[in-house]
Amino acid sequence: MDELTLLRKVRDDVEEPTSDALDAGSNALQQWMVSHPSARKTRTHRARRVAGWTVLGTVAAIGIVVALVATNILGLAGWRGGASAAAADTLGDAALAAVNNSDPTVGPGQYLRVATDAVDSVTTDGSRPGSFVGYLTEETSQVYVPANLRDNWVWFQEAAKPYKTFGAESAAAAAKNYRNILSGPEHGVEKLRAPGGRFYSAPPTVSPAALATLPRDPYQLLNYIYRVNGTSGSSPDQEALVYIADTLRSGLVPAGLRAAMYRAAAMIPGVSVIASEATLDGRTGVAIGRTEPSDHLRQEIIIDPSTGLLIGERMVTLVAQSGLPAGTALEWTAVTTSVVDSAPAGGTQNGAFDVEGCTKIPHGFHCPQG
Amino acid sequence: MRTDSELIAESLNQSTGFGQLYERHAKTIHRYAARRVGATEADDVMSETFLIAYQRRANFSLESESALPWLYGIATNLLHKHRRLEAAAWKTLAATHEPAVAPDVAQAIGSRLDAQIAVATLASAICRMPARDRDALLLYAWGDLDYEGVAEALGIPIGTVRSRLNRARRVLRAANDRNPLPEEEVHDGRVDSASQGA
Repeated sequence: MDELTLLRKVRDDVEEPTSDALDAGSNALQQWMVSHPSARKTRTHRARRVAGWTVLGTVAAIGIVVALVATNILGLAGWRGGASAAAADTLGDAALAAVNNSDPTVGPGQYLRVATDAVDSVTTDGSRPGSFVGYLTEETSQVYVPANLRDNWVWFQEAAKPYKTFGAESAAAAAKNYRNILSGPEHGVEKLRAPGGRFYSAPPTVSPAALATLPRDPYQLLNYIYRVNGTSGSSPDQEALVYIADTLRSGLVPAGLRAAMYRAAAMIPGVSVIASEATLDGRTGVAIGRTEPSDHLRQEIIIDPSTGLLIGERMVTLVAQSGLPAGTALEWTAVTTSVVDSAPAGGTQNGAFDVEGCTKIPHGFHCPQG
Repeated sequence: MRTDSELIAESLNQSTGFGQLYERHAKTIHRYAARRVGATEADDVMSETFLIAYQRRANFSLESESALPWLYGIATNLLHKHRRLEAAAWKTLAATHEPAVAPDVAQAIGSRLDAQIAVATLASAICRMPARDRDALLLYAWGDLDYEGVAEALGIPIGTVRSRLNRARRVLRAANDRNPLPEEEVHDGRVDSASQGA
């Protein structure tokens, strides 16, 4: 018997993992995946749709969606109730105001500048096995969309810096993460420049061209949203509001469509006024939101009903989870748009991937190990 | 059945895919870790391997169909945290009176005592080996990876894998020469052909 054959027989009888150990590993993975739907957000577009099925209570509605999509006969919108009366009134006012306050015009050679201030939650392993430590980071970014959409778009993202921590272990984790980011090749700012907004060599997730094709009729729009969401998210109604918040936060939604989105939100069951005076990033508006009972998350959009402008959106956890206390906004984004005459210089199509020397492969990038 | 790389590609922008990867490979990673550091630590290594893999999934080369070499590589790095524990396990094996092989293997070697001496010799040599040679050897012997797989797992060129495995096997053979095993062949096509090619 040669030495390799013998080695292959040594400790051949190790025990399999117990079902408890397998479940624990699976749960840890699921928990991480739910709290980090997009683990490397600098690597993809900011896909922050909250992932994961949590509860059986949503199964009935999911069944309806699947059936409706399959038969294509009837939409989910409009016949299962809608938002509370107060929320519907506010959304109606905002829709009217949006239409009456027309959007600023982006002239030839000019850019629509969308500045966002975004806060995100990060969860990492705690010092005790199985424990989690959470903190919030803040990231500002500016996107410059050219008047001619085929021209170069520019996107500058500053490194996420610590925004809020919860205790000593959380503060240490946040500081360590920030040091790592600053020591990376991006030097704290990721610069992208791509024709047609094809950042990371992929089409933009929200683009003016795609938005132009969406229905302006709120009923049809909401049915469209239910249909494209399919079974993603924690429930069809919650995911519909998340879709609306995600789309509005791009800052690219023209007034007419914005009005339709507000009216569509007014048709989603469970939507209500959360706060008549909500402040986000120093600006005050009305918070309209919906709580998903299955995962205890509340999605809100904060709007100024007098101008129809979106101030921002946020997702609040109503229970302590992933190292973050109850009542924390797990993420929020404040959006400001303006028309400017020029965009800053610099940047490449694949941003940090180019800096790291990665090569483009189908469906992703191949990066040098390190 | 969908390939690992299809599952990982799906997990890049959807919440699905990665759970299936866990179902598919968790036990295999556990077994490899348990053989190196024992079942208790292997629970953690298994869990951490998949957490890290999920975080780094954008780096996975979608050209490789199987994710196992990549997962083994992550697990191997994590095992380095338990280097002392692993060394202690090899030393125990070198000193123990238990042969740590199945009775039929012991019989093939000759006797229980012969088997115990053979395993002790092997364990003592592996314990003294540089960590990088040991990693290559154990990925090859226990992870059932070919040269290419070991190269992918460790992120090293295939020529380097060859030289590390050759060196590791020379060390084992030298130890064996000092405590020769009885010459009774147990046929194993993969090992035989690999030893000819090495």
